Amino acid sequence: MSEQKFEDLEKFEIRQQFGNWRELLKPTTEMRKGYYSYAALLRDQEYLNLPYPREWNTLDEDWKLPPNWKEIIINKMDELRRKYRSFQVFMDICVRCGACADKCHYYIGTGDPKNMPVVRAELLRSIYRKYFTKSGKVFGEYAGARELTEDVIKEWFLYYFQCSECRRCSVFCPYGIDTAEITMLARELLASIGISQRFTLISAAACVRTGNHLGLNPGGVVNSIQYAVDDIKEITGVDIEVPVNKKGAEILFVTPSGDYFAQPHWFTFMGYLMIFHELGLDYTMSTYAAEGGNFGFFHSFEVAKKINQKIYKEAKRLGVKWILGGECGHMWRIKHQYMATYADDTYDDALKVLEEPVNPITGTVFENASSTKMVHILEFLADILKHKKLKIDKSRNDHLRVTHHDSCNIARGMGLLEEPRFVLKSVCNYYYDMPDHAIREKSYCCGSGAGLLADELFELRMRGGMPRAMAVKYVHEKYGVNHVTAACAIDRAAIPTLLQYWKLPVQMGGVTELVANAMVMKGESERDTDLRGNPLGEYLEVEV
Amino acid sequence: MSFLGTLVGVVIPYVAAFIFVVGVLYRVFQWSKCAVPFNITTTSGQQYSLPWLNRTFMDRFDSPYTGWETAVRMLMEVFLFRSLWKNVRYELPGQTAVSTKWLWLFGLMFHWSLLTVLIRHFRFFLEPVPWFVTAITRLDGFIEVHLSWFQPHVVNIMVTGLLLLIALLYLLIRRIAFPKERTFSLPSDYIALFLLLGVVVTGLLMRYVIPVNVTEVKMLAQGLLAFNPPSNLDLHWLFMLHLLFVSTLLAYFPFSKLMHSAGIFFSPTRNMPNNPRAKRHINPWNYPVKGVDWDEFYENFKDDLDELENMGYVVKPEEV
Repeated sequence: MSEQKFEDLEKFEIRQQFGNWRELLKPTTEMRKGYYSYAALLRDQEYLNLPYPREWNTLDEDWKLPPNWKEIIINKMDELRRKYRSFQVFMDICVRCGACADKCHYYIGTGDPKNMPVVRAELLRSIYRKYFTKSGKVFGEYAGARELTEDVIKEWFLYYFQCSECRRCSVFCPYGIDTAEITMLARELLASIGISQRFTLISAAACVRTGNHLGLNPGGVVNSIQYAVDDIKEITGVDIEVPVNKKGAEILFVTPSGDYFAQPHWFTFMGYLMIFHELGLDYTMSTYAAEGGNFGFFHSFEVAKKINQKIYKEAKRLGVKWILGGECGHMWRIKHQYMATYADDTYDDALKVLEEPVNPITGTVFENASSTKMVHILEFLADILKHKKLKIDKSRNDHLRVTHHDSCNIARGMGLLEEPRFVLKSVCNYYYDMPDHAIREKSYCCGSGAGLLADELFELRMRGGMPRAMAVKYVHEKYGVNHVTAACAIDRAAIPTLLQYWKLPVQMGGVTELVANAMVMKGESERDTDLRGNPLGEYLEVEV
Repeated sequence: MSFLGTLVGVVIPYVAAFIFVVGVLYRVFQWSKCAVPFNITTTSGQQYSLPWLNRTFMDRFDSPYTGWETAVRMLMEVFLFRSLWKNVRYELPGQTAVSTKWLWLFGLMFHWSLLTVLIRHFRFFLEPVPWFVTAITRLDGFIEVHLSWFQPHVVNIMVTGLLLLIALLYLLIRRIAFPKERTFSLPSDYIALFLLLGVVVTGLLMRYVIPVNVTEVKMLAQGLLAFNPPSNLDLHWLFMLHLLFVSTLLAYFPFSKLMHSAGIFFSPTRNMPNNPRAKRHINPWNYPVKGVDWDEFYENFKDDLDELENMGYVVKPEEV
């Protein structure tokens, strides 16, 4: 009998389970297909010099933990609570009010109580109580404490890789307890005994080695750009040139590597190049810093730092004045809140050439990026469009009814909410927001962030993406929305599958794509299709 | 009776107060010792970027850029429960989220009532009674009722005392009756509620049903505060029960989730401004990690990179 695939199930069922605290203290180790991640490959562990590299398998009984694994975990926890005030405070002050419980898209989609943010944190908090608090030591399970066993480690691996670090729960928590922070530190703990997830580590290792998550050699990056300029010429008839590794350019442009060839990222990528050409921007791309994202961020502090240093180093080497970043989610959480902090002397070194970002076309000073020197493409485009520096023909997007999906990290880790809306409204005649509970700081995750885009997590992703899909369904039925935009590369990879699974006749793409769609270029040939080859004018019926 | 009175009226309250003060200070000290490696503000509104962009009045505090905006955000969090105000409930199978403010309402009701009741208790400790205590008491007790069976006959209903009871009962019932809340409620969650209920119920009983000698209570309270407790104590059993609940609560406080009252001020997602790109945050324990630098990268991909050099570092459309 062949295994039944989740994709083929006729009925989507959410089995709500309501246990009690005693049951929740017992580790869940059942590795259900679609919910557990694969173990990291030995080659990636070795390449990144991770502790206790080995071949192991999630489904095996024995995970081949180092003999003193328990001691390592406890010591690491002690270290982390001193290093991260967030960890110590969040472990101590949760009152279990439950405001976060149904804010997690994975809880909504699975009904599994261990996916409630409060319980997800309790998985770690119960261990913290046992080894670091008096009440936990004395009263044991009655104080909500439990012994650290191998099953707990398995449970951590299962549930801390069912969290996309989207921070939606943190918005609603009266104390701002941030499950993303707890998940990151739990993953750091797991990494300390050699437990990593395959998907994140493949990308992270590739990024350290080649400069991008896809593992493209510099020649591959150049080829991609080559295809893009060829495609642009075919569609618009305009010859554009893209500087790569060019010393002395004013701006270094960095984008998530998914943009180099994935669909529908590709159209956004062409969009950037077309706009930069049209503006006559003095910029360069880089093959060394070919990646804006940082999958090390989903693994540990050290791997994140390995990847993070490239952009400042490259800025220094090329002698650029400031850095422009493409559309990406977690990348912007890092650029906004982590990049300059991660960087040690590379930052000071880069400051020798970097200056406060100034838009060369409009003269606008990006005061809010004066220290990091990195500007978001949508901040840049909003400024350009406000000053009317591009010739825009809005009617070129008239075949689309557009809605915008706020990506978790830029909504809740950055606060970039109005820029995409301003840009979209400047280039589209038909823009509609999804319901309030699904946008802005309350935005639902696509279900695939923070390393959960892995294929083996398909069921979890489709379930976790359900609230987002239903919000899209709502605007599709009400306004005929047929195009979702999102300024995030993971979204662009995850949402098309999600929409397909939920049978919604809606396509998706980046924000910049629509700007490029509507932009009238100097010397362009007659256009009767958009960048995707869809005919202009008539309302676009998207095939399911 | 004197021995019991001294134990419950003097020894236990002193021990409890000692544990409370030392415990809370220790926890706060422990938190403040921890490093804050990153600026991890949770932004709940439009950031400050381009000055002309639509940024609502509340966005300034939900996504604060300056120090004072951050302070206002904290104050709103502490006094108005701003985040809880946003609470929504996800509904299946309707697949929508509806606004729900019950937890906000009863939570706020509980905390504000508790504060008022605490302030009202100053009248036991301070002589003369400060004007604001009298004012709050008068305001709180604006409802007068006449009870023929009750000793003073005229009694002022203290609204906050009753609200406290109602709010506590709601907070308890939701843990028992709502499936989600029942699932993750730990014994310690109930302990906190039962202790508070014990304090409130005994207090209300003394006020409305079994009056105790207030002069004696005042003497004890002022004596305790002056570290000169009266020696010959003959306390009412109900008052002793009240005092026992209060003492237990105080001693339990530093070891429990009740520390959230101090912890919220240390929450890095709320007490930091959203300006990390304008003002670099320094990680105190940052250390260098070796990655792949340009020279190593160049060695690895020499052919590709040399070819790019031959192209003049520019990618052009291919000639057809």
